[in-house]
Amino acid sequence: MGLPISNSKLGMWLFLGTEIMFFTAFIGTYIVLYFGSPGWPTDTHVTHINVFAGATNTFVLILSSYMVVVAHEAMAQRKFDKAYKALTLTFALACLFLGIKAYEYYGKFEYNILPGRIAETDSQAIDMAVKEVDASVNSWLNQLVPGDSRADRIHVKRAAARGYQSAESDLAAVDSQLTEVKTQAAAASGAQRTALRDRQTELERQQSLYSALIANKAELANWVALDDAATKFRDDVSANRLTMAQTADRLKELQANAAFAPHLAGVHLPHPIPYGNLFASMYFLMTGFHAVHVIVGMILFAFVLTQGSRLNEKWTDWVENSGLYWHFVDLVWIFLFPLLYIIPGFDRGTPGH
Amino acid sequence: MAYQETADAHHEPHHVHYKLIFFALCVCTVISVALDIIPLNRRLVAFAVLAVAVAKAQYVMRYFMHLKFEGAWKYVLLLPTAILAVGLPLALAPDIGLHYYTPDVPQVRAAAQAEASHAEGTHDAGEAESHGGEAH
Repeated sequence: MGLPISNSKLGMWLFLGTEIMFFTAFIGTYIVLYFGSPGWPTDTHVTHINVFAGATNTFVLILSSYMVVVAHEAMAQRKFDKAYKALTLTFALACLFLGIKAYEYYGKFEYNILPGRIAETDSQAIDMAVKEVDASVNSWLNQLVPGDSRADRIHVKRAAARGYQSAESDLAAVDSQLTEVKTQAAAASGAQRTALRDRQTELERQQSLYSALIANKAELANWVALDDAATKFRDDVSANRLTMAQTADRLKELQANAAFAPHLAGVHLPHPIPYGNLFASMYFLMTGFHAVHVIVGMILFAFVLTQGSRLNEKWTDWVENSGLYWHFVDLVWIFLFPLLYIIPGFDRGTPGH
Repeated sequence: MAYQETADAHHEPHHVHYKLIFFALCVCTVISVALDIIPLNRRLVAFAVLAVAVAKAQYVMRYFMHLKFEGAWKYVLLLPTAILAVGLPLALAPDIGLHYYTPDVPQVRAAAQAEASHAEGTHDAGEAESHGGEAH
């Protein structure tokens, strides 16, 4: 004799047992790390946690859970139309939940609240500013000089750009060589002809490079000045000569230069967020896995919705079991909401708060 | 023997006012948000919002998931996982969450340095333009 429930329901409950372990592993780890990390980010201006978005999503999930119960009850009463409508609304609410979540994620991406992208100390913040300046210098270089823009080949372009003053004479030399090679190639045959054609291609590449250098001469003078300033900035930081305030001044100085300003517009000196990377990892791990569960739930409901007017009593167990799963997804969010959105405001007298 | 579906297996043997449960869950959510907005002792808030979360969880589990009306199998199935789930943070806490020493990590050193320079009145964090919003 078995348990007084269907095999499918028993299977779902056993699966939910493993799901409890799965999510409490994350939640437990988060709680332990939170208490073990003095200075954990709690300021919502820094973490970009939006309590109202979280509360709205809580309401959305609760309403969807209620709709699932309505659907299950309607299935039991053989009111399949009503069940179908309730499940359609559940599906729509799940979409709304993911939409709000996507909006929140967008905020995190916009402010770089991402694992491995956050400066946690002053020196890391300064290093990030140096990297951003270097990236801007390279991006400007890629606009000015044609050719291979891969990071490991950028030194080739850099060397070419720094020699822009001799571009005219270099171009003249290339032009004369090219004429000569073309003449020789026309007369040659076999392997020699192939070699000359290769040489011709290389000379044509150099020709377009020097032409670009001549065309961008005025801008290249500015680029070289910025490259020099960036090198000095990097050297000063490497020699540990700059504090946060001095770094901020140096950036302001560079950005005040009208020639550099458009290219350095995106450069910031980030405010250090101690344990910001761990916070971001935990936030995305927990909410990300929860969102994946929401998507799986939507797939389960989508199977029912594809039935349309053919929905019948054969789907009652399916609706009940996917409903149990959906309530579990709601249950996880019920704990994630206070743990991620409310309690981090907990004042532990940490510096800066 | 396989499970035989009884006549009332899919019919509610106990009538539940689901709307009332839904309303209670909404009220709980409003209480959580209110606790966040009202300036109260944060320890009290932490305790209160978790209590509210437990209340919400029991509403969902007992009524929406029908555990209130299920047989004793629910304990056999769920208690071991629940105990193990609580065991994990308890096992990790002494080493990572509750250490008696100050961890020697860059974040803590930087915070101590910032506090020291702040005390001297030379802290100039306001100069830094915050990536994450307002510098503070």
